[in-house]
Amino acid sequence: MNKQSVVQLTSIDKSYRLGRVSVRALADVSLDITRGDFLALAGPSGSGKTTLLNLIGCIDKPDRGRIVIDGADVTALPLHRLAATRRDVLGFVFQTFNLIPVLTAWQNVEYPLLLRGTPRRERRERVERWLELVGLADHARQRPDQLSGGQRQRVAIARAMAGDPKLVIADEPTANLDSDTGARILDLLGEINTTTNCTFVFSTHDPALMARAGRVVHIRDGRVDRMADGGWQMAEQMPAHHLAATSASAIRHLPSAI
Amino acid sequence: MFTKLALRNIFRNRRRSAITLAVIVFGAVGLILFGGYKAITFRGLRESTIRRIGHLQLFKAGYAKAESQKPLEYGLENADAIRKEIERDPRVRTTAAQITLMGLISNGDKSETYIATAVEPRKDRESESHRLVSGTQLPDHELDAILIGAGLAKSMKAKPGDYLTLMTTTVTGSLNAMDVRVAGVITTGVREYDDRAIKMPIEGAQQLLQTAKIEKLLVFLKTTEDTAAVEASIRQKYATTLESKDWSQLASFYHQVVMLYNGIFGFLGLIVFGTVVFSVANTIVMSVFERTREIGTLLAVGTTRSKVWRMFFAEGFLIGVIGGLLGILAGVALAQLINSGNVMLPPPPGYTRGYPLHILLQPAVLVTSFVISVITATLSAIFPAWKASRMKIVDALGHI
Repeated sequence: MNKQSVVQLTSIDKSYRLGRVSVRALADVSLDITRGDFLALAGPSGSGKTTLLNLIGCIDKPDRGRIVIDGADVTALPLHRLAATRRDVLGFVFQTFNLIPVLTAWQNVEYPLLLRGTPRRERRERVERWLELVGLADHARQRPDQLSGGQRQRVAIARAMAGDPKLVIADEPTANLDSDTGARILDLLGEINTTTNCTFVFSTHDPALMARAGRVVHIRDGRVDRMADGGWQMAEQMPAHHLAATSASAIRHLPSAI
Repeated sequence: MFTKLALRNIFRNRRRSAITLAVIVFGAVGLILFGGYKAITFRGLRESTIRRIGHLQLFKAGYAKAESQKPLEYGLENADAIRKEIERDPRVRTTAAQITLMGLISNGDKSETYIATAVEPRKDRESESHRLVSGTQLPDHELDAILIGAGLAKSMKAKPGDYLTLMTTTVTGSLNAMDVRVAGVITTGVREYDDRAIKMPIEGAQQLLQTAKIEKLLVFLKTTEDTAAVEASIRQKYATTLESKDWSQLASFYHQVVMLYNGIFGFLGLIVFGTVVFSVANTIVMSVFERTREIGTLLAVGTTRSKVWRMFFAEGFLIGVIGGLLGILAGVALAQLINSGNVMLPPPPGYTRGYPLHILLQPAVLVTSFVISVITATLSAIFPAWKASRMKIVDALGHI
């Protein structure tokens, strides 16, 4: 077991009250996510993908079971005490981008670094580096409403990545984009995954996107249905230095206006 | 950063923020105009009261406690020496001897009670403590000239040049009467006073009372602010021989008016305060509701609840600061417009004369209105800010 575990879920149960009925969203889910994983949670709407992502993202609590994030058991901690974990260990990419509308692209990326108290100089370096990596160096001063959907999601990715998270959680990151733009966003996430070895967990119900994942976890009616290796990380067999070189050049050649 | 974020969020929905600011400005302007009007009313009333009663009144020691059986039992005997000494103080403008006496006034057919203020004619002419309706002011060296209040003159059917008879008890307790000539008819603006008032020369009163004493010495200062200091130095110098009262102790009417106005303004202020609080709170609640998903995002990426709370709190505070500043500008502009417009007001309670509406722009009033604006808006933000910081992240993110 030389692979480091980033997320360990053990026997997770989670129910919601929907009016007077209790809906069981997750039943006895156990899942191990290791460092460098590029993992898709697949399943139809209402299968429990988002609930599972919320639990991994420390923005919701399970009814039963144990959650260990980056070696720390977070099961017993109340949500407001987990703000530091979310800030320091996790990065979030949302289906609807969720940028702060009054802040520019630059400031949106800078925001989580401000929360961490990163020194000004380092903040500038990181924001500049990530805006360039996502191909938006020229759009730094624009506000979200002046950007296209794809550009907004790129800013959101830069925001998630700027703090060097151990794990990025993306809930349907391409669902609000056309298929071409969505594919490029997924390309970008994949590139980042291979170059930084940061762990990615995203949910989707698009078979085309599942095909690109390193691992696909199928969820049905709140249970893990089956797990499968995806197509994307065939590259895992390649030597690491070769991989880094190709990815870096790929990122450099990504078009900025997707 | 959070201040910047708060400021930007204020300007995000311009129309709504404009309405909120308008409400605060409205409240601030109201406070400035009320406050400025109150300030000038109090000052005017204070100075006109002081013109009549002096800044300080000095009596013979024991005057206040004594239940005197006869007039002027506790009168001042060596008034001239004391006056000279007190007038040497550079803060003192002048002093005036005074006697108050009561008795019956008659025109031969009808008698009325009067309250006479016996004054030094020259000092009285300078003091502008009354307004002449007809006739002349008190002349010098005419012991039997009097001024008569307009109400009493009407009751006595007296006009300048007519003769009336004054009766009173002398210092020895016997009755004395004196024929007097009406020199002028006066009004002080206070109806109850005008119905009973007489002014007469102090020598005439001393003759009527058969005494050389005076009742009290009025001390007029150059500025009202010196009152306490001058009183202290007089008390120190004449600790055993004199006792004193300042204008504030003597002016019960002034204090009644101040209390009445403060009550009215306080109540109006409370209404304005409540209106502003609810209006601003409403805006911020709406803004919290609209930004639910954004708040969810902020919390998800690791913003602490207290930071979210502080951000909305800062929005309220900044709205208050902006509104307060705009309120001062608008208030000053409006006050100057009113002051240049020469609007006449009806007489205040107890007065017979109206006066022009004037707003006194004291720094204290402006500062108060600003501080209240800021406090109001900040208070209004507490509940919405609390609501925002308590949101469940999962629900907030799912909010459309």
